[in-house]
Amino acid sequence: MPSISEPQSNGKMWWRSLDEVAQGDAIQERLNDEFPEGAQDLLASGKDRRHFLKIMGASMALAGLGLSGCRRWPEEHIVPYAHRPEGTMPGIPEHFASCFDFGGVSQGVLVTSNDGRPTKIEGNPEHPDSKGATDGFTQASILDLYDPDRSRGVKYKGEASSLHAFAEWADVYLPEKGRGLACLVEPSSSPTVQRMKRTLKKKYPELLWVEYAPLDDANQRGALAHAFGGNWRAIPDFGHADVIVSLDSDFLGVSPTQVPDTRGWAKGRKPDSHTMNRVLIAEPSLTVTGAKADERVAVKPSRVEVLAQAIAAKHAGLDASGVTLTSDEQAWLDLVNESLASGRHGLVVAGASQPAYVHYLVARINEAIGASGHTVSYRMLDNATDATIQELAGAMDAGSIQGIVIVGGNPAFNTPSELNVAERIKSLPMSAHLSYYENETSSVCKWHVNQAHWLETWNDGQSVDGTLCIGQPLIEPLFGGVSDAEFLAILAGETVTDSQTLVRATFNPSADSRTPAWRKAVHDGVVAGTGNLEAPPVNRNPFTPSSTKTAATEICLIPSGSVWDGRYANNGWMQELPDTITKLTWDNAALISPKTASTLGVKQGDVLKVTVDGASIEIAALPVPGTADDVIILPMGYGREFGGRVAAGAGVNVYPLRSSATTWSAPATVASTGDTYPLATTQMHFDVNSTPGKGTQERLPMLYREGTVGQFEHDPAFAQHMGHSLHSLSIYEEQQFEGAQYKWGMSIDLSTCTGCNACVTACHAENNIPIVGKDQVLMGREMHWLRIDRYFAFKDDGHGHYDGNKLDSVAIQPVTCHHCENAPCEEVCPVAATVHDTDGLNVMVYNRCIGTRYCSNNCPFKVRRFNYFDYFRRDPLRSTGLLQVQPDYYVKTQSGGKTLRAMQFNPDVTVRMRGVMEKCTFCTQRIQRVKIATKNAWVKLSDAQKAEDPRVKIEDGSIVPACAQCCPADCIVFGDLLDKDSKVSKLHESPRSYTMLEELNIKSRSKYLAGIKNPVHEPAPSAGGHH
Amino acid sequence: MSSVPVHGVDNTHENPTHRAPLVLNHDDFGSVTRDILKVNESPKPPKSWYLSLAISFGMMSMLGVMIGYLVFTGVGVWGNNNPVAWGYPIVNFVFWVGIGHAGTLISAILFLFRQKWRTAINRFAEAMTIFAVICAGTFPGIHIGRTWLAYWLFPIPNQMDMWPQFRSPLLWDVFAVGTYFTVSLLFWYLGMVPDLATMRDRVTHPIKQLAYGIFSLGWRGSMRHWHRYERAYLLLAALATPLVLSVHSVVSFDFAVSQLPGWHTTIFPPYFVAGAIFSGFAMVMTLAIPARELWGLKDFITMRHLENMCKIILLTGSMVGYAYSMEFFIAWYSGEIYESFTFINRAFGPYGWAYWIMVSCNVITPQIFWFKKARNSIAVMFVASLLVNVGMWFERFVIVVTSLANDFLPSSWGVYEPTYVDVLTFIGSFGLFMTLFLLFIRYLPVLAIAELKAVMPEADPHGHDHDEEESHE
Repeated sequence: MPSISEPQSNGKMWWRSLDEVAQGDAIQERLNDEFPEGAQDLLASGKDRRHFLKIMGASMALAGLGLSGCRRWPEEHIVPYAHRPEGTMPGIPEHFASCFDFGGVSQGVLVTSNDGRPTKIEGNPEHPDSKGATDGFTQASILDLYDPDRSRGVKYKGEASSLHAFAEWADVYLPEKGRGLACLVEPSSSPTVQRMKRTLKKKYPELLWVEYAPLDDANQRGALAHAFGGNWRAIPDFGHADVIVSLDSDFLGVSPTQVPDTRGWAKGRKPDSHTMNRVLIAEPSLTVTGAKADERVAVKPSRVEVLAQAIAAKHAGLDASGVTLTSDEQAWLDLVNESLASGRHGLVVAGASQPAYVHYLVARINEAIGASGHTVSYRMLDNATDATIQELAGAMDAGSIQGIVIVGGNPAFNTPSELNVAERIKSLPMSAHLSYYENETSSVCKWHVNQAHWLETWNDGQSVDGTLCIGQPLIEPLFGGVSDAEFLAILAGETVTDSQTLVRATFNPSADSRTPAWRKAVHDGVVAGTGNLEAPPVNRNPFTPSSTKTAATEICLIPSGSVWDGRYANNGWMQELPDTITKLTWDNAALISPKTASTLGVKQGDVLKVTVDGASIEIAALPVPGTADDVIILPMGYGREFGGRVAAGAGVNVYPLRSSATTWSAPATVASTGDTYPLATTQMHFDVNSTPGKGTQERLPMLYREGTVGQFEHDPAFAQHMGHSLHSLSIYEEQQFEGAQYKWGMSIDLSTCTGCNACVTACHAENNIPIVGKDQVLMGREMHWLRIDRYFAFKDDGHGHYDGNKLDSVAIQPVTCHHCENAPCEEVCPVAATVHDTDGLNVMVYNRCIGTRYCSNNCPFKVRRFNYFDYFRRDPLRSTGLLQVQPDYYVKTQSGGKTLRAMQFNPDVTVRMRGVMEKCTFCTQRIQRVKIATKNAWVKLSDAQKAEDPRVKIEDGSIVPACAQCCPADCIVFGDLLDKDSKVSKLHESPRSYTMLEELNIKSRSKYLAGIKNPVHEPAPSAGGHH
Repeated sequence: MSSVPVHGVDNTHENPTHRAPLVLNHDDFGSVTRDILKVNESPKPPKSWYLSLAISFGMMSMLGVMIGYLVFTGVGVWGNNNPVAWGYPIVNFVFWVGIGHAGTLISAILFLFRQKWRTAINRFAEAMTIFAVICAGTFPGIHIGRTWLAYWLFPIPNQMDMWPQFRSPLLWDVFAVGTYFTVSLLFWYLGMVPDLATMRDRVTHPIKQLAYGIFSLGWRGSMRHWHRYERAYLLLAALATPLVLSVHSVVSFDFAVSQLPGWHTTIFPPYFVAGAIFSGFAMVMTLAIPARELWGLKDFITMRHLENMCKIILLTGSMVGYAYSMEFFIAWYSGEIYESFTFINRAFGPYGWAYWIMVSCNVITPQIFWFKKARNSIAVMFVASLLVNVGMWFERFVIVVTSLANDFLPSSWGVYEPTYVDVLTFIGSFGLFMTLFLLFIRYLPVLAIAELKAVMPEADPHGHDHDEEESHE
């Protein structure tokens, strides 16, 4: 290194002072001294020691006084890549196609990975069912990956063991030829699982292969086996149906086919292009399908079969003698007959809970009305069961079964109660269970093998129409574990048991990892053109009607919209997800009609004792308008005993009421116990004739604007005439956004929003939204940035009195931050923590927020959410005592504390601390990502090209917020309002478009498209409602 | 007016030809000083003082514990929730600011209007104001989510060039309450200077002498001192007068400027001011009645004083009642469904009970003061003043909570339930208030001695002439 004074030989010369140029002695001396003058004294030892200590003491005291020296920073370990994986860029998320099996249907997904951590799941646009959308369960399953309660190892009789030990045990102890061995699996569409089944059967030819799932389509398959012979599943195509008759089929609600069914239905409900299907439904519980249906009748579960017979009599010429209908049922039936007669493409569907006879009738009706092959097709499935669960239990009793291997599922929890499967498994000498959690079944099995998450292994499966899907892992198994196919391969004694080889060998035995077809399949996640649908003729063999008789009181078991059959019970997002209709979180409840509630003398939260065949449960009542009278609706899957910390204490297990004879509904007796139980609903219930109840009814037509097809055809802008808007001036100078490059806006179509909750969960995942626990929901502190409002509208008797038993319609309305241009929240914040950005987004500056909560008070939509606690540090509590936090709250590390949970966090979104307000940002992180990329590309353009596009236009549709991305009905549209050709601009100009609370002069950027219904007969124009 | 001592005289008469005496049973200045300073100068305060101080101090410590728990845990320990983001803390804030209103009114406006009866009550009314504003000021500070950043509410120059947001009524609040507190404190202290000097001259303990000496600012009672003092007092009174109107008007802006139905009302500023005077006088009465009994101040805070306060309570109570009915009228007259719903819901909705407590305490109770018997009955006055305090707390509760609980979208409607922390914090704030007040009674001149002397006939060298002139009027 050259000396300081030595002039550089080339380049520019820089001097510190003119003295340096002059090369004076004094400057040379100073330049050569490493330390400045005073410091020199410090260096000298001996007599200056006191001085040195004085200065050090003073600096330390200052450091302490300033408190900056006392801050305890979190200890972090950073492990860099030794070699950067090819094609990755730190900080830039990547997307990989994958798939997983849910209820025997493969769900195609596209997973976002941030530096090796999967953080968000989207739908796979290439996948025929998903087309880029997902349901709520898919969104939530990312949280399962990082569940601290997931099983972390192999156990034998409760002691830690190893996979190797299990493989050895299986090799040595499983009976020869599989005599006395049963394999209990969940229905799966995976060809690899089917292949492993064949391999296993080759080794153990006498193995009993049993498929069981509590929420399956066994009744339909039984009926179709009779109708066509073989193992069939009906695949309805709602997109091409004009008239859809649903016999207790909640096709818009949660199911493995929710996404394609919702998309199909929504495709047929485009009032702007004069495409409107009509849905007529008969059902016991108010489902989302019922809420969106055009004609609905609430009937007891047992009455659906009668209605099916009546429809079959009319359209398929079957005998319906002895069928008597009530006046309500007859009225609905007349509408069905009228619609089916006039519609070109009819479709009848029956729910999984309906007996096989109804499914058979439906197949006959569909054939008769010409739906078969047009609006409904069938697919032959290759998975078959050797025995039913009842037969398996019988065999266990007879002693012909000594060993059982359970692949996934939770039979000890969810099998019919009279079979007492848990006790039976416990008594077997050999039992093994592959499971993601150590659940009820693990506790009765000798071996527990931990299952890997689907994001950790290779999978395959088939979509609804049979298209082959390939799923790749995104992360090494966090805690070891194997997939179901690997587990079966180990049992079969295969030499190669890694999931990639297994799945690839199924795809093509001769393929290796470089085969182009394989690489394409993995890349796309699907193999296009492998679907197969048929429409075979229906067999005319007589089918015996079920022996169900209508009882005075009936129970009706339904899948839970939050936990399905119980498998999502330990998922906090799902537990805290308000049910679309009941708005209930963290629990299930006995849903009853208001009339039944008054007969029983109970109100929300009063505990009922429900008895079926001697078995009884106690469960809190929740009156829901629209429920059939004298029916107790019981959502399944709650009340887990070995569910994990989140599931513990959530709800009541209703499976004890479910026996083989009463799989879906049964006669029951019910009585009030006099106890009460708090139910955490996110919307309050008011009696419709109370002051708040009447107030709600009065303003409802203005908030949620809905009309009929006739009304819309007559006056397309009817929704804009339903409210008053005074074009008032603001006291402050209104934000004009002059020179703004973009103007983000959103449009939400109330016609096609079903309230499926996928967007709410997607928002959770995208924006690091905490769950708060039941006690906080009870206090009204849930954190959802996007919520689905649900209102019940009742008929008015003309004198301001409403009949709470006569449900007129149900309003379902997603509400996010409207990003008002005249934002009321902004002008009341004393510290300017909520402001507008240049694009007009209303943004929260978290680190400026001090938490006065004034913004929330002044928000007319009440979409702002406040962090009353450090929700990520605090475990979601079910109930709190005197102190609101657990003792370990104070010792947890600073940033979130829970490292496993923290892996899911979206690195682009701040994790908020306590005391700050938060709210929907229109996914500003996604906007910025696209904006930056677009601007970077623009900068590289030539000047002429730049002049053509001075605004740096962003391509419409390239920015998609999390809610819009997952929506199967495409009812949320986001884009740039300055771009007159963008989809959202056009929707804002649509005559159906209206602004909620427009009269407040807030200038929302978010607008709704009025809901349109398609009733058979236009209602007589009423005096009220129009202004 | 007679210049002889008045013994057992009813000075509540309404005879305009005869000026009622404001100090009873005293005909010389020395005895006035002695009797008032009895409270301070007795070697040991009465047992009741110790007992009340112990209770108040205990309550104040509880406030400290609750605030500590709150700061360490989060504002979630309160019952506030999503629609009702403001609960007890803001209710208490407005309640205490309202209480703090009477002080300035009595000291400034009544002074300017030459209402001489104010001299007997202005000192402790002002003290009450100061202490109530201290209690009030506690709440916004601890109510925010990140208490440690409360100083961001003040316009402190900083390296980010980041100022508060001047359109926010909360910021106006900071200024209004801050100004009010400063001016009230100055006014209180200034008025106390001659009396502090009196105490300085009378105390014997050297430390007390030193302390009173410092605070009396070298007051010697010279003509020049008095001249300057009277000027300054008048000026401060003129300065403080607009504050009487401004502070609660600005507090009402917290609500009126927002667009929430039930808050967004132009009637709020005058209505809040009337309510504040109403509650302030009620609190003065609540404190004065026991104080005059326990410390023998009946000769100075006479029945006439109390009766005058009753009349003001009747007036302001009726104004508040008018405001309540006008709110309903406007809600109906506007034809605005959200607005009209809010008011119907207030009276007949889930919080109807709170509304009817408010109406019965604030509107119906004061009507009893139409009767002279009630105005002259200590028991009736005391009970009524307590009820008015309760009613005024409920008024703020009704305004804050019912409007927030049921606003525009029924989906977000909720209920607010306070937690034990809310309740104990509120009780604790009374502890803080009472502790300060008890210390004040013991260590500072509880009545304005110098001013009281000035309203005695003995202060008027031409009293007998005056008396004659008056009787001819």
